[in-house]
Amino acid sequence: MIRKLRTGTFHTGMILLSLLWLGPVIWVVVMSTRTFDDIAANGVGSLPHSFTLDTYRQAWVDGGELRALINSLLVTVPSVVLSLALAAVAAFALSRYRIPGRRTILLLMLAGNLLPPQILLIPVQKFSELTGLYDTLWALITVQVGFGLGFYTFVLHGFMRDLPGEIQEAATIDGAGPAQIFARVMLPLTRPALAALGALSFTWIFNDLLWAITVLRTDDRMPVTPALLALQGQFVSSWSVIAAGTVIAAVPTVAVFLRFQRHFIGGLAIGAVK
Amino acid sequence: MTDFDPGRRRFLGNLGLAGLGALGAGSLLSACASSASGPAKSGGSGAVTIQSNLSSPQAKTAIEKLAENFNKLGKGTASVNTIASETFRTQLPTYLTSANPPDLYTWYAGSVANDYASKGLLLDVSDVWQGLGEYPQSLKTLSTDAAGKQVFVPMTNYWWGFFYRKSNFAKWGVQEPKTWADFLAVCETLKSKGIPPIGIGLGDTPWVASAWFDYLNIRINGAPFHRELLAGKQRFDDPKVKAVLTRWREVLPYFDPKGKAYPFQEATTALLAGKTGMFLIGTFFADAAPKDALGDLDFFRFPIIDPAVPVAEEAPTDGFFASAKSANPAGTKELLRYFASVEAQEEYVKSSSGIVLPVHPKAKAADSPLVSKGKAMLESAAELTQFFNRDSSDALQPTADTALTKFMDKPDQIDAILREWQASAEKVFKG
Repeated sequence: MIRKLRTGTFHTGMILLSLLWLGPVIWVVVMSTRTFDDIAANGVGSLPHSFTLDTYRQAWVDGGELRALINSLLVTVPSVVLSLALAAVAAFALSRYRIPGRRTILLLMLAGNLLPPQILLIPVQKFSELTGLYDTLWALITVQVGFGLGFYTFVLHGFMRDLPGEIQEAATIDGAGPAQIFARVMLPLTRPALAALGALSFTWIFNDLLWAITVLRTDDRMPVTPALLALQGQFVSSWSVIAAGTVIAAVPTVAVFLRFQRHFIGGLAIGAVK
Repeated sequence: MTDFDPGRRRFLGNLGLAGLGALGAGSLLSACASSASGPAKSGGSGAVTIQSNLSSPQAKTAIEKLAENFNKLGKGTASVNTIASETFRTQLPTYLTSANPPDLYTWYAGSVANDYASKGLLLDVSDVWQGLGEYPQSLKTLSTDAAGKQVFVPMTNYWWGFFYRKSNFAKWGVQEPKTWADFLAVCETLKSKGIPPIGIGLGDTPWVASAWFDYLNIRINGAPFHRELLAGKQRFDDPKVKAVLTRWREVLPYFDPKGKAYPFQEATTALLAGKTGMFLIGTFFADAAPKDALGDLDFFRFPIIDPAVPVAEEAPTDGFFASAKSANPAGTKELLRYFASVEAQEEYVKSSSGIVLPVHPKAKAADSPLVSKGKAMLESAAELTQFFNRDSSDALQPTADTALTKFMDKPDQIDAILREWQASAEKVFKG
């Protein structure tokens, strides 16, 4: 009886708690199906008095979300692959070999992450102009890789350091060189961490706004976050179209999270227990 | 200066990337660089890029339509690049100072344009103005920088006023007030009926309060004093400014108490729903109104306080300026000539669907009673001002936001607030 009561209370509590989390999401989804006149007459907070899916068409066609999503993926996928590849190589070298000054190198890379990105906006913009990359997607990829590298290396370093040394020794005895050890032994073992970091960095890079507006200035090169901002008018915004655009923009990150969910949680736990 | 030397650029590119290459990706990244050095602008005859902050759907369509029409004229090609207005505002200095800037920018007339001109960033468009003989002198003065060159070409302007719903005013039995005493009487009537008389929206949009400051100042002290004050030639702790806030204090009890919490777009909703009586706002607010409510909207001018002061109105003017580093100054000026023409402005007013007035004296505005009334009001005004930030600078605006928000919270501390305002304004003027 008491047990039943406890489970009941637990479930009610958890349902309420998850509603609290889901509330804003549901609000945005509901808002995305309201017409402009409905919101203008009743306010953003009121219950819906209308239903339309035209907002999605407006966001997709008039707001140019298709182009923006393609741009986002053109930036995000190479950035994630490149930064994880570079970070894995760096972490392998730093964690498995006695490189002089390796602690300093690692700390230096991590220290870069402690700088607030805001103070680097102007240097990065000027630098991208100097290199001729300003207003190209390459500039954004370069910036994302550069800024992500320190943290990814740090995480992967911690993970690789804890892999048993015997495996590496056995591979060395079997005649494998560093490249082979990295590709055939280390990388497969690091997969959970890579998957977790991959999902995480995908979300970060995909959702980034600051760097995009710093190094880009042409509307059809903008990724999805500035494109969402462009749905706002100078004075007046159509909140339902913005909500629809937001729902569309959330799809890729949700898809990536669902796909990597298992690794994501697994990858986090592995570091914790050891 | 405008011509790029590709060899040097490539060299610098590789040099810069060599720095990144230290992280272990040199070869990979410089491979990217060679394939993505951006669209090289051919000097002299390339398309003129318009960097536009008109991101609301109607205005965006309108400016794109204009570019299309210009391209049909065969005098050059123009392409529109629309950037979210908020992004545009923060990035404009970056665009203007970059090595290869866009040619033309949508922006505001007045001191904000002059600021950039004094830094040598704007193209001298005096020869465009030589063809604009029909434009009134006031617009020419507005577009002239401190050195006496014209740097700006206006296209549209709009007005501010107390907007209300005709049906609601009829229901409450009140008339448009003409004088300050009438205005107080209307407020009193509405309040006695349980309606907050004056709507305002200051959450996220604290600059809306500056309209009150501007109007009270130009009604009490006149437009010349107002301009001098915003240019740093008068002091905010002057007794004349104190008189402005003292007058404002008389009507503070009539403000919608919820107005501090929500932005002006929601204040518009409140006005339309009859939850507030009237709303001092620019015509852009009508974009936030449902179409069926538009016919019911009307406005009256800010009440006259001192009949001896020449009547001035706020008429923020929008238009274009060009980058001094434009690769195609001739084409840019050709485009500016088009934007200044009657056809272009009538086309813009028609397709933008918002309430804006063309600045060309011969261009016809939209055919609605509201627009005719607004146009007549501006034409009858002895002087026009822009708006707080446009008459001063974007740097001075936050000082006004802080001071006025504080004043509305604690109206008994006027002296201290004005002293603080003067101190922070001095910091801005010293740069």
